[in-house]
Amino acid sequence: MSVVSSAPPLWASGACAGVHAAGCRHVVYVPDNPLSHVLREFAERFSDVRLILATREEEAFGIAAGLYLAGATPALMFQSSGVGNSLNAITSLFLPYQIPALMIVSMRGDESEWNAAQVPMGRALPAILDAMAVPYVIPARSQDVGDLVRLAAVTAFSTRTLRACLLPRRITSGADAAFAGRS
Amino acid sequence: MNRLEATRLLVSLVGDSPIVASLGHPAYDLFAAGDRPANFYTWGSMGLASSIGLGLAIGRPDLRVVVLDGDGSLLMNLGSLATIAALQPRNLVLIVWDNEEYGTTGGQPTPTAGGADLAGAARALGVSQSVIVRTDRELRDALAQPSRERGASVIVAKVSESRPTMKPPLDCVFIKQRFMRAIGGPELATEGGGA
Repeated sequence: MSVVSSAPPLWASGACAGVHAAGCRHVVYVPDNPLSHVLREFAERFSDVRLILATREEEAFGIAAGLYLAGATPALMFQSSGVGNSLNAITSLFLPYQIPALMIVSMRGDESEWNAAQVPMGRALPAILDAMAVPYVIPARSQDVGDLVRLAAVTAFSTRTLRACLLPRRITSGADAAFAGRS
Repeated sequence: MNRLEATRLLVSLVGDSPIVASLGHPAYDLFAAGDRPANFYTWGSMGLASSIGLGLAIGRPDLRVVVLDGDGSLLMNLGSLATIAALQPRNLVLIVWDNEEYGTTGGQPTPTAGGADLAGAARALGVSQSVIVRTDRELRDALAQPSRERGASVIVAKVSESRPTMKPPLDCVFIKQRFMRAIGGPELATEGGGA
């Protein structure tokens, strides 16, 4: 039996604090299991951040583009598979119009994955982002997530670029925290 | 009515409202009907015009946001209707120019040619204010509805193809910056100021 804690994981509270500190007040998302921690933390501690559910990641990009045109600084949040659903929105809307946003991506297919169907996209994602020249950061430890999310968002909006923070499964599954606790 | 005539009528009725146009012929006709800084022409991202308009409407509740979509492009992003229904922004008007064909790519029939009912789909997904219009009079009446009292509005306008001969500006960054300035929220990068 696992121990259920009401405290959010460090990486999830960091992601929320980073988004908030960067001035983002809109998060357009498609849910994901680990991201449920982030959604709960936003709802409980950052009530000034508006969470907007999209039916598909590509749609989330469209909504985020409209929010930027309206003067907002939006964040996007979804699973890595959703980037695959969004390539046309990235390459024919965000990049040519120089529309900035921060993508917070919950990785699938990397270490500790159990579903083989998630592996090819997860494996390909960094190369796909490189091919589109979309910058990304990958936190090495749970305690790095907050700062990296904040810096990636600030840089995205000050330089008008789409940027991503890829959250490894090792961190979002808690394996990283468990290791830290033992050491 | 053909799409260009309908677009001209629409532009004459919406004042300074921002207009987001789907790529290809809806954007071309919007340009031909009257280029204005508050026009946001998309050049790609087929299907996303309604989503861009939704984000804009949420972020700027003080503006009445008009989207010019096509039947083929809305069919690429039908989930958008469910999201619009869930959020019900009173300041969003989604016009679907339904010519029952992929006009920009050579006139291949879309599913609406076989009876697919986009206004019915919008109603079924929760947009109660959803109508089909077939004449300029009906379009005028639909736009005159007090949509601010009733949430988002979807107007499916049955139009014939107008075969555009003009294209909007091709510079995407120019389109964006001109648009943002026009709606009173210029991009910081274009303004300069204190270091």
